[in-house]
Amino acid sequence: MDFLPFIIFFIIANVVGIVLIVISNFLGQKKKLERKNDIYESGVNPVGSTTRQYDIKFYLTAILFLLFDVEIVFLLPWAMAYTDSTNKAFMIAGFVFFMLILLVGYFFVINSKALKWEE
Amino acid sequence: MMIDILITLFAVIFSLVVVFSNRTVVSAFSLLLALLCIGGAYFQLGANFLSAVQVLVNAGAIAILFVFVMMLINLEHPVLNKDKNKFKLILGAFAILVSLGVLAIVINTNLESFSKDFLLDNSMKTLFGKLFEVYYLPFELATMLLLGAIVSVVVLTKQDKEPLE
Amino acid sequence: MLETLIEIIAKIVVILALPLGSLPLIIHVERRGAAFIQKRLGPNRVGPFGLLQPLADVAKFMFKEEVIPSHVKPFFFTAAPVIALTFAILPLACIPVTGPFQFMGREIFPEVFRSEMGIFFAFAASALGSYGILLAGWASNNKYSMLGALRACAQMVSYELSLSTALVAMVFLYGSNDIHQMVTAQSGYWFGFIPKWGFFVQPVAATLFLVGIFAESNRLPFDLAEGESEIVAGYHLEYSSMKFALFFMAEYIHMIGLSALFIILFFGGYSVLPGMDMLVDLIPGSLPIFQLISLVTKVALMIWFFVWVRWTLPRFRYDQLMNLGWQRLLPLGIVNLIVTVLFVYFRN
Repeated sequence: MDFLPFIIFFIIANVVGIVLIVISNFLGQKKKLERKNDIYESGVNPVGSTTRQYDIKFYLTAILFLLFDVEIVFLLPWAMAYTDSTNKAFMIAGFVFFMLILLVGYFFVINSKALKWEE
Repeated sequence: MMIDILITLFAVIFSLVVVFSNRTVVSAFSLLLALLCIGGAYFQLGANFLSAVQVLVNAGAIAILFVFVMMLINLEHPVLNKDKNKFKLILGAFAILVSLGVLAIVINTNLESFSKDFLLDNSMKTLFGKLFEVYYLPFELATMLLLGAIVSVVVLTKQDKEPLE
Repeated sequence: MLETLIEIIAKIVVILALPLGSLPLIIHVERRGAAFIQKRLGPNRVGPFGLLQPLADVAKFMFKEEVIPSHVKPFFFTAAPVIALTFAILPLACIPVTGPFQFMGREIFPEVFRSEMGIFFAFAASALGSYGILLAGWASNNKYSMLGALRACAQMVSYELSLSTALVAMVFLYGSNDIHQMVTAQSGYWFGFIPKWGFFVQPVAATLFLVGIFAESNRLPFDLAEGESEIVAGYHLEYSSMKFALFFMAEYIHMIGLSALFIILFFGGYSVLPGMDMLVDLIPGSLPIFQLISLVTKVALMIWFFVWVRWTLPRFRYDQLMNLGWQRLLPLGIVNLIVTVLFVYFRN
């Protein structure tokens, strides 16, 4: 039941957007002109097809973000549990070990130039 | 109670859309919505941190991966290999569901013997205290797993023009 | 039950009215501020000092024709701005505007969604912000939109890591993720006049977070995704009229939400401004009002800083941007975290 404020808030946030679009739909005029339906490319005729090859670095960025995000998600409870913990030296030892492994992974990524964007 | 049922219903509906939709991007976005519903279910069960993590990692990173792939490949209507024998498919699905249900019942009735540690309350502080005192080893092993994942991702997507050092 | 409902509705109204209501003002400040920095006059014809200009803009947006080109995917094309707006408004749900106070015998926590996850909710919700952009770029069926959307998403995702490392350092220092406790930990003064804000304790994390929020909200110097001179308008290329306005609104509200987070972590949140203590002591029971005024003032100053930076700094190139995120800011965040932890441990 303590979910309720969130649900109401979510619904209202959606409603704001939908109401604005609906109002604009009713108030705007509608004239179908041929040129309006073209793909916009700075006023010239569109060149090439829509499908093209994208760099794999986009996908690599997303995957490495996922992995480092999970590492940070592990760090968040650690940060919260530190102040109340009884054996702080143990926590620090675990933290240093965790960070060493994270840094090894990070340096491997940087060295391999997998994320180096050249232009 | 109502919210429980609603969230579960939505999660099931979105999961079914993921499996049965013809358009790949619709599947990917339904996956996102299903993961969000599961996050809501976690919150309803009282696991607050887990729901935040679910939205942050699962819905905010893994689902982005799926959506990226669908958009990068731009495969709108994949040509599926339609199984002619639908009866086998339905029977197989039914069998899996029944065995999962039996497993769930078995685990639920024997729950006490599975866990040796009890959490006194559902708050995050007790959970984290237990995590970092009793279960430190899985925590560190998880980092090893992540290191393995990082290395394998970089190696698998290596382009062939530079030699691997 | 009825009282709880009234309380929830009142909180939602306040939390939504503040950003949505000040949106026209922010847009106006942006245009006048841009003009001021560029040594020209901004809009000053509509109403006194051009203050009615945003209203005229809203009317224009509503009455413009809703063009849905035939080559787009219709449902997703219309759904993308709504999704972007929803996920931009969502982080506001966990931000309290004042401290807890007593009202009619009940203790009220002025945040819409109070849970144990505290500030993590805002970060989880802003992680979802990249979906509106992705959907918009893909639904437009236009290769420039798609490219812009991919770049924007990759950029937002890379800088979320720096934000999270700064967050971990601050959660470590404050010992909890509850926003009220974070603000309480920042109360008090050193030497009587320097407030104990997080910014002075952790300047590195503050800078990291600041750069991160510029990149998260796609503002200059990181706005390559909507770079006006490069790939025309990026992911909202094919959008016109109200849908475009919704993207615009989503960007500003995202900016407001992230500024509020920055202020909570590093500038004392809703704690009263240094000079206001004496006023609070004079008028009993007015603490919540002064806290509200302090928070609004701090967020307003932050938004002015956003505008100021936008019209001062040139835009980064995409490879510079990504290399900055991964090669410079992420190790900085990690090293900052390690140094902070070891420092705190060895000091005790």
